[in-house]
Amino acid sequence: MVVLAIISLILVNHDDELYQQPLFKITKISQAHSQKVVDDFNNVDHEHSQLLTGVITNGEYQGKQLRVTNTYSDSRGLDQPYRIGEHVFITLHTKPRLHATVKGAKRDTPIWFLTVLALMVMLFGLKSGGLLAIISILINTGLFIVAIKINAAKSGDHVILLFATLALIFCFITLWLVIGWNRQMLITMAAVVLATGVAVGLSQLVIVMTDAKGIYYESMAYVTQPPKPLFVAQVLIGVLGAAMDVATDIIASLVALKQERPELTGRQIYRSGNQIGRAIMGPLVNVLFFIFMAATLPMTLVYLRNGNTWVYSFAMNMSLGMASTLISAIGIVLTVIFASLLTSWWLKTGGSENG
Amino acid sequence: MGSITVLWLILLILMLVVGGQEGVSAFLSLLVNFGILFFAIVLISFQLNPLVVGIVASVVLLAITIFWSSASDEASMVAFGASLVVLLILLILIVVITKWAALGGFGLEDSDELEGLSILLGISFQQVAMVTALLSSLGAISEAAIAIASGLTEITAQHPQITASQLRKDGSQIGQQIIGTALNTLFFGFFGSSLGLFIWLNSLNYSWGVIINDKVFVTELVAILIALLGVILIIPMTTIIISRRWQNKINKQKDHH
Repeated sequence: MVVLAIISLILVNHDDELYQQPLFKITKISQAHSQKVVDDFNNVDHEHSQLLTGVITNGEYQGKQLRVTNTYSDSRGLDQPYRIGEHVFITLHTKPRLHATVKGAKRDTPIWFLTVLALMVMLFGLKSGGLLAIISILINTGLFIVAIKINAAKSGDHVILLFATLALIFCFITLWLVIGWNRQMLITMAAVVLATGVAVGLSQLVIVMTDAKGIYYESMAYVTQPPKPLFVAQVLIGVLGAAMDVATDIIASLVALKQERPELTGRQIYRSGNQIGRAIMGPLVNVLFFIFMAATLPMTLVYLRNGNTWVYSFAMNMSLGMASTLISAIGIVLTVIFASLLTSWWLKTGGSENG
Repeated sequence: MGSITVLWLILLILMLVVGGQEGVSAFLSLLVNFGILFFAIVLISFQLNPLVVGIVASVVLLAITIFWSSASDEASMVAFGASLVVLLILLILIVVITKWAALGGFGLEDSDELEGLSILLGISFQQVAMVTALLSSLGAISEAAIAIASGLTEITAQHPQITASQLRKDGSQIGQQIIGTALNTLFFGFFGSSLGLFIWLNSLNYSWGVIINDKVFVTELVAILIALLGVILIIPMTTIIISRRWQNKINKQKDHH
């Protein structure tokens, strides 16, 4: 298996002919001049240029030699230096004669390496559990892609409805795989759906009542459609995994508890549920916090170095991530409440025959 | 009052209702984590080395997330130790991949947002990208570490006669149970947060070939895979540390007799 993985890496590293975009392989580099750049905010950087000589490795002009100039800065915000032996995407121009500009690095080999590494660690480290996890991720990724295609086909209309439906399907499939088809699974699903729905509804109410003060939808990155519904859809999907995690944990533990001690009353079951929940909610909220906030780092940095205040830099880059984190956190705590509540109703009548 | 302030208040009330004192410490850990994260960004903007700031911040953030959770002291120590080892492994992987794939900085996708902003800052965006990937994995690592460490220390408390090898078996069993849901948390978290990016990439009608070489997409995928590897690695790491400590304890008791 390791051998297969290495072979696949070598193949990916030499897959230039599969690409329609022209690629070339660098054989020689000569450094040209460097210069110091200072902007209005006294940020000091250096720009360098390098002359890349290489051979086109695919398409019509395969085998032709080319020379391309590349400029890059020390900070490498939108540019980068290249190394000898590297494969690089280029844009070819044929008039007046064959020449090219650099487009970007070929990144398929490193990403394939990391993917294969993750798959192997999952299979070897987790055995059957790893296989199940991979299958679940593959199904969900497939559904996710389908939803994005539908969204595009409808040109972004009803985005909340679309992703809420997707969330329901995700929830159903995932819980079915984890728990199986029984009453416990339905109750877990009900807790997740209720908690997520109430959290999103409540947050929308808050946002409307405070006139969305401090929430800068216009600062949302990569937006091609109205940002407000897209934001709701992002939160809906984002919180789903954590909510399922909490609900599965609490309800499974409560069912086991009731089997051990059948004399427990509904109120006691509810309390035990809260007790389990309070131990796991903090770490889970932090999982989402780091996922939502870490990605805002580079752009916040640019704002800070461009003479903006802390408050403005936060508002334009981190406020939406913060709002997503908080809404998700509210959803997670509500999941604890709903999971405990629903299970206590279900089990107090002694109906654990499906547990 | 701003929307975010009201959301903070609602969260505080809910956490108080569900968790009492533990709820308050969960709330405070989120608040302090945000403070540290923002402070780290400010330090980097003061031209301090991004990678150094990022590593120090990560260790502090892990400590707060783990020690302010409701896990016992013993479990927290183990979870923290295991997290540090995994953090180091991930750091090495991140540095290699980030350099290899020339990640960092911004893609053409960001040009709208960057309009009017100078990005020639003299700050290494490649290191900033490494820090970003490291930070986004912290929550997932610490959550899984706490779950396993708490479960296993609970077992040692209830069954003091258990052997170290049985403890290792129990550890991998708990790992099997939590891995599915832990990966789901990660998966949906990342899909939610990058929904906008995926819709955007789709709308540009990029071919698969362009997407898998696109800097912004690859950066996101690396973050997901790194966090995923972190969660998978933390399970055996935590189990090994606990069973080692348990073995030492048993050996000491034998010496006494």
